[in-house]
This record gives sequence, C-alpha cells and structure tokens, in this order.
Amino acid sequence: MTTTAVATARRAARRPARSRSLRPWYRNGTLVTGLVIVGLLVLVAVLAPWLAPYDPVKQDLQSALQSPSGSHWLGTDKYGRDVLSRLIWGARVDLRVGFLAVLIPFVFGSVMGALAGYFGGWFDAVVMRVVDVFFAFPFYVLVIVLVFVLGAGEKSIYLAIAAVSWGSYAKILRGELLVAKKQDWVVAARLGGMSHARVLGRHITPNVLSQALIYGMSDIVMDILAIVTLGYLGLGIAPPTAEWGSMILDGQEFITTQWQQATIPGLAVVVTSLGLSFLGDGLSDQLSPGRRS
Amino acid sequence: MTRAHRYRVPGIALAALLTLSACGGGSSSSGSGDSAAAAEGGDLVIARAADALSMDKTTTFDNNSIYVFEQIMQPLFTVSKDGKEVEPLLATSYEVSDDKLTYTIKLREGVTFSDGTPMTAKDVKFSIDEDSKTGADGWGYINAAIDSVEATDDQTVTIKLKYAWAPLLADLSLFSNGIIPENYGGKTSEQFYEAPVGTGPFKWGEWKKGQSLKLVKNDKYWQEDQPHLDSVTWTVVPDANTRKLQLQGGQIDIDEYPDWSSFGSLKNAPGITATAFPSTRIDYLDFNQQKTPFADVHVRRAIAYAVDRESLVKTVLYGNGEPADSLLAPGVPYYAKNPDAPKFDMAKAKEELAQSSVPNGFATSITINSGDPNQGSVAQILQAQLKELGIDLQIEQLDPTALKQHRNAGDFNMIIGGWTMDIPDPDEWTSFAVDPEGGSHSAYSWYDNPEVVALNKQAQAETDESKRADLYKQLQEKTAADAWAAYLYYSPYAYATTDKVKGFYATPLGNYPLEGVSKTK
Amino acid sequence: MLERLRFVPGRLLQAVPVIFGVTVVVFFMVHLLPGNPALAILGQTATEDRVAALNHQLGLDQPLWKQYFTFLGHLLTGDLGTSISYQRPVSELITTAIPVTLSLVVFALVLALVLSIPLAGIAAGRPGRGRDLAVRAFTLVGQGMPQFWVGIMLLLLLAVKAGAFPVGGYGETAGSHVYYLFLPALTLAIALSPQIIRSLRASTINVLGSDYVGTARSKGAAGISLFRGHVLRNAAIPTVSIVGVNLGYLVGGSLVIEKVFAIPGLGSLMINAIFSRDFPTIQAVALVVALFVVVVGILTDVVYTFLDPRVDLSAKERA
Repeated sequence: MTTTAVATARRAARRPARSRSLRPWYRNGTLVTGLVIVGLLVLVAVLAPWLAPYDPVKQDLQSALQSPSGSHWLGTDKYGRDVLSRLIWGARVDLRVGFLAVLIPFVFGSVMGALAGYFGGWFDAVVMRVVDVFFAFPFYVLVIVLVFVLGAGEKSIYLAIAAVSWGSYAKILRGELLVAKKQDWVVAARLGGMSHARVLGRHITPNVLSQALIYGMSDIVMDILAIVTLGYLGLGIAPPTAEWGSMILDGQEFITTQWQQATIPGLAVVVTSLGLSFLGDGLSDQLSPGRRS
Repeated sequence: MTRAHRYRVPGIALAALLTLSACGGGSSSSGSGDSAAAAEGGDLVIARAADALSMDKTTTFDNNSIYVFEQIMQPLFTVSKDGKEVEPLLATSYEVSDDKLTYTIKLREGVTFSDGTPMTAKDVKFSIDEDSKTGADGWGYINAAIDSVEATDDQTVTIKLKYAWAPLLADLSLFSNGIIPENYGGKTSEQFYEAPVGTGPFKWGEWKKGQSLKLVKNDKYWQEDQPHLDSVTWTVVPDANTRKLQLQGGQIDIDEYPDWSSFGSLKNAPGITATAFPSTRIDYLDFNQQKTPFADVHVRRAIAYAVDRESLVKTVLYGNGEPADSLLAPGVPYYAKNPDAPKFDMAKAKEELAQSSVPNGFATSITINSGDPNQGSVAQILQAQLKELGIDLQIEQLDPTALKQHRNAGDFNMIIGGWTMDIPDPDEWTSFAVDPEGGSHSAYSWYDNPEVVALNKQAQAETDESKRADLYKQLQEKTAADAWAAYLYYSPYAYATTDKVKGFYATPLGNYPLEGVSKTK
Repeated sequence: MLERLRFVPGRLLQAVPVIFGVTVVVFFMVHLLPGNPALAILGQTATEDRVAALNHQLGLDQPLWKQYFTFLGHLLTGDLGTSISYQRPVSELITTAIPVTLSLVVFALVLALVLSIPLAGIAAGRPGRGRDLAVRAFTLVGQGMPQFWVGIMLLLLLAVKAGAFPVGGYGETAGSHVYYLFLPALTLAIALSPQIIRSLRASTINVLGSDYVGTARSKGAAGISLFRGHVLRNAAIPTVSIVGVNLGYLVGGSLVIEKVFAIPGLGSLMINAIFSRDFPTIQAVALVVALFVVVVGILTDVVYTFLDPRVDLSAKERA
C-alpha cells in the first residue's frame, strides 16, 4: 500500500539531527517553495474562467489538431479544443478532486485511530485488523475496483479513495495517541476528573493532528495521481470535462505527431506533486521540529 | 480454377440457363496477384482490436470471427475480388430450371476436408440445412427461400426454392453456407465449432481466448501450391496506438484497421504499406426503439439532423470517407443517392425535436466499444452536438464482447453500428436491417415499419432488374425519412502491413482471403 | 538460528483474520453495487428476465450468509467462478496471468535496486551537498510522476524514437520476455526507487556515523569497498521492510502499467474484466493480489529476522 509506504519512507528518511530551532515559516525555504508552487496552481485553478483563452469543452472541428501557434499556445486537440485552456481547467478539476478526496479519509481515519489509540482494548484490535485488511489490497486495485463498483464519477472517486486511505490516518493517530496518553499532563487531567471526551477533544487531538496533516500533504499527491490514472483508464471524470489524465489518454493517440498533447498534462501533474511534496516537507519541519530522529 | 465466366449478379436472374465450365487444377480463382515466386512458409501475425467471438458460422454476425472462419470453411460460391460478382468455389457449374425454382449444382471433384475425408453432396446438404435451421437466430434468414436441398449423387446437389429468389447464388456464397462434414463429423455442433473442420486453405490451430487465435496450413488444400503461409495468428491488441507501434517495430505483420489518425503517417512510413480498400461499409447510429423516446420518429429525425457528417468524416476519418445518405453503401448494387436523407441542419433538428414527445430535450446514453477510438470520437462529437438540442448524452464504454452481449439483448439506448456486405446483393443487409424477422430485430433497432417490410419482401422476389432497383430506391428513401437509424459515414477498410507481406487484399465485402498471401523473410 | 523463527506460527495466525477479512471485502464488493448487482453487470437497461437469470447464475438469489459460505467453500477448493466474458474458469485465466505479472514485478524490483543502491550511496556520502540534492530531486520527481505517463514517455523516447525496445506485448520465449518487459519494469522501478533511495540513504548515513564504520575506516577501508563491505548490509536492513511494504504497491502499479504496454498479466485481465463487467474475474484478481500482499508481508518479516540480529519478532508486539 503506497500510502503507508510513503509514511514509512518519510519517517525512515528523516535527515539526521541538525539542531534547528523554531524559525518563522517564511524563512523555511522548502515550505515557501511549496507554498508558492501550490499557491500559483490554486490561483490558476480558481481563475480558470478568466485565464483560459477558450472554452475547454467547446469543439471546433474545423481547427482540430493544430500545432502550437500564437492563437493556440499549446495547439488544439482532436476536437479542436484549445489544449492550454483544457490544461488550465484541468488544474481546477484535478486539484479540487484531489483536495476534497483527502477530507473524508482524514476525518474518518483520524477519529477511528484516535479512539483506537486512546481506548485500546478490543476496539483497538478490531479497528487495526480492519485496517490490515484494507492494506492488503494494493492501492490501485481497490481504487479501480471500487470506482467500477460505485459507478464512474466524482462521488465514486471520493468514496473509493476514502475507503483505501483512511487506514493510514488511523494508524498515525493511533500511534500518536499511544504516546500522548501516557504523558503526565494527560494522566493528571484524567485524575482531575476531566471526561474522556474533553481530554481527547481539547488536549490530545490538536497536538497530534499535525502528523496527520503532514501526511495528508503526501496523500493529496497520491490522490491526484490516482485521479489522473483513473482518467487515463477511462474510469475517472467523464468526458468532455477537462482533466489531466483523460488529456493524456486523448493525446496518446498522437504521441508521434503531437507529442506535447500527452506530455504537458503529465508535466502539470509532476509540478503539482512537487509543490505538494515541498509543502508537506516544509510543514513537517515547521510543525514538529523536535521530531527529527 | 475457373476460367469460369464471371457474371454480374443482377444478370443471373435474366439468364434462364447458364452453365459454367469446369476444369480441374490450374491457377487461382481469387486472382490475388500471387506470383510464382511467392515466398513459402512463415507465420503471418495480424493484430486486431477485439477477439473473435465464436466459430459457429451459422450464428455469428461478427466480422472478427467471420474473417477467421472463412479461412477454414468455404462455401459453394464465392465473391470476386472486386466484390461485385459471384464465382464458383466448391461448385463448378449450375443449371437453373425454366420456372427458376430448381437449381442443380455440380461440385468440384477431388476436394477433401482438412481431416482427409472427401467432400460430397451429402456434406453440402447437411451444411446448408444446418444454416437454414437457425432461422431468425442466425443467418438462416438468408436461406428463407430454400424449400429443400437434395444430394442427387455424390457430386450433384439440387436446391428447390419456395418462390423465385433473385439472390440465391449470392446467398450460397455467404460463409454461413460454408461446407462442413455431414453430422459435424460425429460431434455435437458445440464440439465441432470448438475446432471446426472445412475445406479451406487453413485449418484449426489454437485459440487462447482474449489473446490470440492461430490457424495452420491445410496441407490437403485442393488448390495446388496454396496456401503459402505455414500459419496465421490473430493477436488481440485493443489499443490502436500499440498496434501501430508494434507494426512499425515489426512485431506484427498486419494491423487490422489502424487508426485513421495515424493512417496518413503510416502511409509515409518506410517499410509499411497502408492501403484503404474500397468498401461496402456503413456506420450508423442505432436507436433502440424499444426505449423511450426513440420510438418517436421526430426524436430520431432530430438526432439524424443534428449529426454533422462532414465534420465526422474530417475528424474521425481524417477525410478518408464520405457522409452517408442511405443504409446501402455506394459500392452495393442498387444503391440510390438520396438528397432528401437527413443532413446536418441544427434548425431542422430543433424543429423536429419541438414536434416530439420531448420538446425540451432529455437525458440518454450511448454505449461504445472501449477498444475503438473512432466510436469514442463519434460519441464525443455527438455529445457536443446533441447538447445544443438539450439532449444530455452520457457515454458508456464497454469491452467489445460485453457490448455485443448488451446489444443482442437490447440493453442500450444508442450504439454505433457498422455493417459490411458479405454477399453482392443488398438483400443480406436490408433484411437484416429493416425486417424484424431478419435475424437481429432490425439490426438491434427494433424498427418495425410494415410498409418497409413489404417493400423489402417484394424486392427479394423481383427478378426484373429495373423493377428491383426501383423497389430498393423506395426502400432507401422510406427508411431515411423514418430515420430508423442515423447514417454517419461510408469509410474504406484501412489495413497497414509491413512490406514483407505480399498479395494481401481486402474485398469490398471486408473479408481477406489469405491463401494467396505470402511473407518474405 | 531456527529458534528466531519462533514468531512464524504466531505471525501466520495473525494473518488468518486478515485473510478472512480480505475474503469478506472481496465478497461484499459485488453487494456494494448500487441496486441490483446483476443490473450493474448487465447495464441499467437490462431486461428483468436476464437480471433474474444472472442473479440465479451468480447465486445472488440466496440469503447473504449462505452466499458467503458458498463463496468461501468454492475458494477453498480453488474454484474462483466462471468468467462471464470468456466463459472459462477464472482460475485458468488467473493461472496464465500470474507468472506474467510476477516476472514483471520481480524484474522491476531488481531494476529498482540496481537504480537505488548506487544513488543512495552517492547521496549519503555527502549529505546536504550537490549530489545529495540531485538525488533528492530525482526522488521527489520520481514520486510525483504518474506511472502510466512515465511508461508513455519511455515508450516515446526509447521504443518509438530510438527503436531500442518493443512497444508492447510480452514476446514468445523466455529470452524475449526479458526484452519485452524491460521498459515496463523500468517504469515501475522509477516509481519504486524513490522510497528505497530515501530509506537506504537515511540508514546509510546512520551507519556511516556509527563506531563500527569508524573502526573500519581507521583500518583503511574507504570508498566503494567500504560501502560494499561494511555499510550496505547494515543499511539494507530497514530497507527490506520498505521493499516488503512496497511490493504490494508494485503489484498495484503493474496492473496499470500492463495496460500501457499491452502485457497479458493480471492487470490487463482486471482492466478488461472491468470494461466487460466480468465480476467473477475482477473479484478473483483482487483476491489473489491481496493474498499475495499478505504472504509477502510474512516473508518480509522472516527475511528481516535473518538479516538483523537485533530483531526478535517473537518478543515484540507488532502494531
């Protein structure tokens, strides 16, 4: 399962301890780079209706398959649609779906993991075995099958990704909770008569959520890759909506004559992933500087 | 063989008695351009988008299957290279009685099946009877006029007709009337079609379903010095781009139906020959008239007017084709140009829809073949055009095999149909397309107009050529006005081969005889 | 040494509920289909008769618990059902496809290691410097590329433009399999190596800082021989678990890559099955792949125990 792989890799790969004190976020180069890239992409996505020179789904069959030119910077596709406009609108779709897809597993997984870690016992055992079961399925196998089962479309993508990736959040939160609940102040709070709900809600969760948040950044990368892959397989966002994966699929037909059609949307995915990875690494530096092993 | 006279099919009815001279041995009847120096041996690899479905020649309508089993099982007559004439194959001559109800056919001597048993009149009777039996569930409708088939002696077959029937010889040249051993050689029909036996140049090899199908050389083939190849393998490569790249890389010898998008570049590629063979193919939009609102003629006409055929030809076929105006392609006998057939006209489309039961549009779906980029393109263009009418079109993709299952069961709203003639007579297609009894619920449209059905029946029995032409003209006009389907375009057959492949051609009927094909090292 | 395998029976026991869970998930997939599963298989416009017939054929007209036990019973006898589109036992289809996918995965793993070990070594040599940053950039980009897109790009550059490799397919002989599988395996290796490089780099840095390497250095070992002789083995230990965890990922990725390169393995089988609504085949592929992941998990633990003298899994409670 990729998501755990990333998490494990991340933990294993933390750079050796260099004494780094808390510093203002704007002096954290990685974070700033990530913020700039992701910020620009979000801006492009939000401003797509104003930035895109053409309607991304409007066909103009008379001017199909044009090479890049002054009026169509990246050329046109088989249906005469402007590739640049589709690229810009594709950012809107892929980023939106990518970000939204993280929300459900983030919330559900965190809650399950927190409860499992805090209460332990049979509940913990059951939740963790269920997580193991979901982890037994490779990411793409489960996502593809679930999207098929639930019917192609955005809603199915959210549900499928949720089912596949909530387990990682559950594991992270559980681990954090196991450590946190042994700390003195939590024990004191309990002894002081604070209810489970208040301890969980007020003290533990905000403190430990940062790990899940950091992981979430790399998870968005995974989700965007999954959405693009589904689009490529013809199981994702339905045509004619502009989406990077289906743009690659459409462009593959002309790979020998108009290589930019399949190449550019892929590069867009790479840039997005890089931005999010920087953002995740930067956040991790910023939110938990003491955690470097 | 045959120095045999060739004759135009429409002419045969006029000839009260026609005897074809027979001769044994000699040069090929196919005129396939094979030279004396043809290379021998080798495995010809043909890549195609979808696997064959079944080897049962009597119930299979699918070209991927037909083009394979035609190499194994041969009929009494066959179609000339130009696709317009019928010439003898396993038959050598025939006589027609004065009342045109009895045909006496002489069989070729010395023909054996690939298992070594000689072919006799009993095998012929059995083969044709088995086909007739399938009735509306298979190709049996083709034999509807046949009253009886009798084996007069080992080398003579007598066919009696119920009524005068213009297309008989053409019908006998259909693969469904291909000759197989009597009683399936002692097997059940299912067992037999698992590994069919015939008199053709190739015999059954191995079928890895979904991957590849291999036929091997029939050493007992009755035409001397043929076939040249040791074997033929059809591999399934759903992605057109991969097929093209494999051809360029020399992994395959023939790409069956390369993308039109790459056809131009393949033509110019070194070591590759890309040919657009003239065809009898029509592509059409099939409405399932069992489903609302497609029973409404105004809805169908609205969509037929909303199809921008010129743009389809340009975008989907890259200019390699013509907009369609009839269910018959121009290469089919009795095709009649129809200026009144629905043409792209959004104003008319809106007008028609306004008169329909759904004046404000509706939501529907089109089910397309996931391995066919042309269908994907047509569907996407259609989606954009129908949106202007307020019709919300959803595109659903299905694997070709599953698509056929859905189609046969009527589980769809719209599909894209394609037809190629298998015999040089329009009846094969018109009966299939507009007669609900014709084997396919009117080409899976469930179209049923008694007036058109009557016209079709009249045309079948009409032996006067000009009267027959007039009937088919009426039929073409009536069906176009009904928009029983929305015609899209006529396209040639695209094939790309490596330059090692010699003697390959496809007839206008789409099939490609392989006995004369060779492959240089 | 053998006593260190004491944990194996317990580990196997632990896998039982997971395998059980996997069968439940695979079984219930079909019941997740909105409305009637047969309807989803046949399409929304199917006639009632056909839906009823297919329900009966799939045993969907039985009570749920009974269906599950029938399913489980069939599984135990190796019966994975009949493929709807091929009309053949699914087990047959799977058996032909497994060796193909498995060779692809193993090949990819080998290539990933060939790619990762030197890169990790280079990066760990001077952490924070130019070469390290370059390797880090490679891992970041490698992780962020859609695998299928990498495949398409490799096809474009190495197969179409350079003509050095075939553009898809699997070949006929064992030798040609290697040739045909090189590009797809490389695609997967590029996706996998960032994880391995990161892990290996970090642990190499740790090992390099240890007393033990200091001793080796003082004895004159340096450069590649130091890396090979003293560092790699110890640094590899944490990487084993990364590789183990990622084998599942690799299998998942190979399913998509098979589609790009037209390789007749489990992935092509599954994607084709999806487009033909061939549910028994989809279920079977999911099941087989999940079981593979579980088995690899156990094997990874075994290998890990042998490699690392400090690990005693029998004593440790694993989360």
